[in-house]
Amino acid sequence: MSEGGGNRSGRPSILREPRYPMALAGLVVLFALGLVGFYQYSADKGDGLEVTMEEGDVEEEGQVWSAPLEYGDDYTRSLTMGLLGFTFLAVLTLAYGHLLRRRQRVDS
Amino acid sequence: MHLPDGLMHPALAAMGWLVTLGVLAVAHRKLQSQLKEEDLPLMGLMAAGLFVAQMLNFPVGGGTSGHLLGAALATFLLGPWAALMVMALVLGVQALLFGDGGITAYGLNFLNMGIIGVGAAHLILERLPGLRDEARMFAAAWAAVFLGALACALQLGLSASFSDYGIAHEIALPTMAGWHALIGIGEGLISTSAVAYLAQRAPDMLTHHRRTSGLTEAPA
Repeated sequence: MSEGGGNRSGRPSILREPRYPMALAGLVVLFALGLVGFYQYSADKGDGLEVTMEEGDVEEEGQVWSAPLEYGDDYTRSLTMGLLGFTFLAVLTLAYGHLLRRRQRVDS
Repeated sequence: MHLPDGLMHPALAAMGWLVTLGVLAVAHRKLQSQLKEEDLPLMGLMAAGLFVAQMLNFPVGGGTSGHLLGAALATFLLGPWAALMVMALVLGVQALLFGDGGITAYGLNFLNMGIIGVGAAHLILERLPGLRDEARMFAAAWAAVFLGALACALQLGLSASFSDYGIAHEIALPTMAGWHALIGIGEGLISTSAVAYLAQRAPDMLTHHRRTSGLTEAPA
């Protein structure tokens, strides 16, 4: 673990120890492999809520927000969208965490 | 279990938002005083990992599938406040960027998958200190999924009981509970495997859990 305190090296905290980039790469590989299984066995199956909606004869309607992206319906597009969301969330979460840490330092 | 827009009565959706905003405000304040520098990489990893894990549905039989929720695993590794924030960010990005879960339903989605998921997991993890990490992880993961789904079913039934929204209790409760009891087993197996792997390869990543639960021994 890195020592607590500040961002001494100037690099994002997730890149300061080699095991975190390794873990990020490992998750990407697992996702790429898992996506093969998803398209093989699950892509055409609804999840628990979707099946319940079917049983209740309820359809998805009344959407109030049109999202700019979608997960995709083939392997390549889903892989791309997954990697995009993966990167975006890693950056967003780290940015939020660093913001909190900066405010901690200011407050103290 | 991501509720879309237009399924729940607007009053229930608004209540979900109110509860969510209140809990997020508390979680943000708690994290601001408790967050440590060494927790940041794991938080980032967890959020990114949960996003892709939730894209990977696994079959549970009968033409139905489920995916990892991750609330219990995040609670185990990060503690409840950071886990709540991670879940909030994941659900927010799913809804805003990918249309997975409605915007009006975000409050209820966070209530079911975030607050109830993390809360149930935290209670089980803290109240069963005599069990091995893997056993507690399995129980917490299963309960997080099952109780979140049960809450979702109750909300659907409640909506249907006084409006044209929702799904009748007689359908929503048994169907949601039945399928998510199975999906919870998958959640438990994946979460337990992740903890067992970390205990072998990176036991210090379990530090947060040991610190908050008062356990000091090395992982079994």
